[in-house]
Amino acid sequence: MHWPAVIGDYDVIVIGAGISGGTIARELSRYTLKAAVIERAPDIPFGSSRANSSMIHGGFDDKPGTMKARFCPAGNRMYQTLHEELDFKFRKCGSYVCAIGEEEEKHLEMLLGYGKANGVPGIEIISGDALRAREPNAAPAITAALWSPTAAIVNNFEASLAFIENARRNGVDLFMETEVNGLLFNEDRSRVRGVATKRGDFTARVVINAAGVNSDIISRMAGDDSFLIHPTRGEYFIFDRRVGDMVDAFFFSCPSDKGKGVTVTHTADDNLLIGPTSVHQADRDNRNTTRPGLEEVFEGASRIVPNIPRNMAITTFSGVRANSKSGDFHINALSSPRGFVNVAGIKSPGFTSAPAIAAYVVEMMKDSLGDLVKFEPDPKFVPERRHIPRFADMPMEERERLAKADPKWGQIVCRCESVTEAQVVEAIKRGARTVAGVKLWVRPGTGRCQGGFCAPRVVEILARELGVSPLEITRHGDDSFMLTGKTKEPLLPGEPL
Amino acid sequence: MSGLRRVDVAIIGAGPAGVAAGVAARKEGAEKVVVFERDWEPGGILQQCIHPGFGLHTFGEELTGPEYMHRYLERAREAGVEFDLNTMVFQMDKPVSSDGRKAARFWVMNPSRGIEQVEAKSVVLAMGCRERPAGALGIAGSRPSGVYTAGAAQRFVNMEGLMPGRKVAIMGTGDIGLIMARRMVLEGADVVGVFEIMPWVSGLRRNIAQCLDDFHIPYYLNQSVCELHGKGRLEGVTVVEIGADRKPVSGSEKFVSCDTLLLAVGLIPENELSRMAGIEIEPGTGGPLVNELMQTSEECVFAAGNVVVVYDLVDFVSREGERAGASAARYAMGRLVKGDREFKIVPGDNIRIISPQILTASEDVTVYLRVGSPVEGKCRLRADPGLSSQNLRYARPGEMNEIKLRADKLKALAPDVTNVAIGLEVL
Repeated sequence: MHWPAVIGDYDVIVIGAGISGGTIARELSRYTLKAAVIERAPDIPFGSSRANSSMIHGGFDDKPGTMKARFCPAGNRMYQTLHEELDFKFRKCGSYVCAIGEEEEKHLEMLLGYGKANGVPGIEIISGDALRAREPNAAPAITAALWSPTAAIVNNFEASLAFIENARRNGVDLFMETEVNGLLFNEDRSRVRGVATKRGDFTARVVINAAGVNSDIISRMAGDDSFLIHPTRGEYFIFDRRVGDMVDAFFFSCPSDKGKGVTVTHTADDNLLIGPTSVHQADRDNRNTTRPGLEEVFEGASRIVPNIPRNMAITTFSGVRANSKSGDFHINALSSPRGFVNVAGIKSPGFTSAPAIAAYVVEMMKDSLGDLVKFEPDPKFVPERRHIPRFADMPMEERERLAKADPKWGQIVCRCESVTEAQVVEAIKRGARTVAGVKLWVRPGTGRCQGGFCAPRVVEILARELGVSPLEITRHGDDSFMLTGKTKEPLLPGEPL
Repeated sequence: MSGLRRVDVAIIGAGPAGVAAGVAARKEGAEKVVVFERDWEPGGILQQCIHPGFGLHTFGEELTGPEYMHRYLERAREAGVEFDLNTMVFQMDKPVSSDGRKAARFWVMNPSRGIEQVEAKSVVLAMGCRERPAGALGIAGSRPSGVYTAGAAQRFVNMEGLMPGRKVAIMGTGDIGLIMARRMVLEGADVVGVFEIMPWVSGLRRNIAQCLDDFHIPYYLNQSVCELHGKGRLEGVTVVEIGADRKPVSGSEKFVSCDTLLLAVGLIPENELSRMAGIEIEPGTGGPLVNELMQTSEECVFAAGNVVVVYDLVDFVSREGERAGASAARYAMGRLVKGDREFKIVPGDNIRIISPQILTASEDVTVYLRVGSPVEGKCRLRADPGLSSQNLRYARPGEMNEIKLRADKLKALAPDVTNVAIGLEVL
């Protein structure tokens, strides 16, 4: 692919360009130090940050005193302004935890206690009837609900891209499709000296491990086996926008013997999202959906929001979370070797917590690694970043203005989501390299036809803009080629099909 | 914005329905008839249907899709139909009142002209349909590349000369899937099998014969693809048998090696614009509720072709397009006469979709319908009370049936009759 294989020397290297790596990179970019992010995938976001509930939690779910309880409400407060600064979709919708019966109501009382202790503003328990007055599609069986007004939904693709892109704007280098396969040390292994990748070595004073589901593997490379990632997989359904407004807020179930509880969401892009399951698995890359898993999701969602029309589902997906065995985040700077920082076990509410974690990590580094890296504020730091303008959400005058200025703004590529050719071209300019990558940036293929009409167009535009043959275009990197050849090309004798 | 552009009859979509509507609208006397088409050339999906089999009813010979379209486009040119190509209708408003009548308003975008608002005295919706995607089926497994709807694959192969894969499994027996099975073999691919979840094929019988049997492509009824394998490119699918209870038979799973899965599992009328305009959608067909004039719940909006109901043959699409175009022209000229009755068509057992759904007894009408499950043997379609009947040798879900109703007979029904029952009797 087309990444300059520049192997460099940095003050700080961040492993992983998910929400954790992205937020940390942006925090680092406030300073004059030299930093790079190294990512094994071809697209951002790729791992846990890509496939999740896209929720910005209120912060009442975690036991006071834990890292989660500390960073989640703080992260929530930061997102209330970050979405404007970095221009990603954010819907302040609030959340309800729905209780059915007395046992579950006790759970609400516990969460209310947690929420108050964690400093979550505005939370209260309301009756089932009060809930249904606001949300007519809530199940009649719900007897009470915990309302958390500061909860919100983001477009997690846009948010992940926003942090990393702003970091790049402020001088951080990004290396895609660059898998880390070892760490570099000084002679007595008392200090980390960088990372080894399949492309070559990067030297650095500090290495930050934000490798998500693989963070324990990276940590073990540094000799730290104090935590283990036990990946959990969660499956979801996405429904047509026509039923997105079945709910306005984010609905949680109470955990029960049947599972942790399925959620029902009106996403930032107005689809209906239901899920997840939670299945422990050894395989870190298995993002399969399963028939029983999808059944469990549908039944669980129907318990709190009945009558979801199954035939309006447009797709299903699953994501893997970096669940650490302790259940809490695992954030520390090793004392030996020095220069290695773990930001691991960042599972739910990891997306919410990430900006607060990033700020904390930088403070921690100033305290304990200040001799290795100088933190001098960069006067040229620009905190703002704009996403690619969204044709679908523009006023007509703005559409008219852009279409006049550039015919590519007048050419719709994805009819379901009203995405123009100009947006696709801009996504490629800003880093998209695959069909899935373009989709993460500007949404063609996320609608009800799921790329039936636009996939051939996106392949064509990718090939044209990157100056390669359509045969080189992949869905999501590696060998996920979209096409296998030209028509009327006979197989060679003996060539396997 | 560059002011309001006014036309008499606007047609949305230059596929077979839209072009036929344009010709009929001009013949009926409408002055400014404009077909808006988002593609850079007219023809709709027929552009990529390079196989023969079109036009037997209309022209008495077998044509390819582009040939069939070419003949209609000649007619359109002669009739003075205007085409506004590369122009996408992306928003449709609720019709407005204008000079005592309703008029349609919508927004179009063209790369060289930008955005315009159009007001039309009447409009014909002819946007066609789209394919049901894989995601909607809840197939388990991974998300590799190589999974396409049959129509997307057809575009790659027939329009762009690119192969979506080399070793192909096909899910569903919809006609595009059958056509693509043959096409992929002709282009040098191996088609390992066609898997149909139902106990019967959903496409035309002639396509089973001409596209599968003639090419020794196996097809399997009561079998479904239930899981995808492969992280990068598709490496295979799991196929499962479906039992008499319509549920997967556990233990019957088998792995089928392939690098491509094509889906032909249903077509959905594309009514996003219709919904924006507040037009009533019939849940059974997924298209606008229409009367015999192809008039929707908004009096200035007409509809034709696969946007109303998914047809089996293009000849019927053109025929209904002509009806819609003529009605829209008469409306635009202020002389559309609806009948003075209103009947609702009530479909009987085993009739899955029916169009039109409302009759006003203005003119004789052909009612199109599809059965839900096949009747392999003599049967009779009946329209009651005592309107007409039609004997059939068989009735199959993949092949549309029609029954003609006469306006004079409808008019003669007792005033308290408001339903017309259409049913299928097995003889």
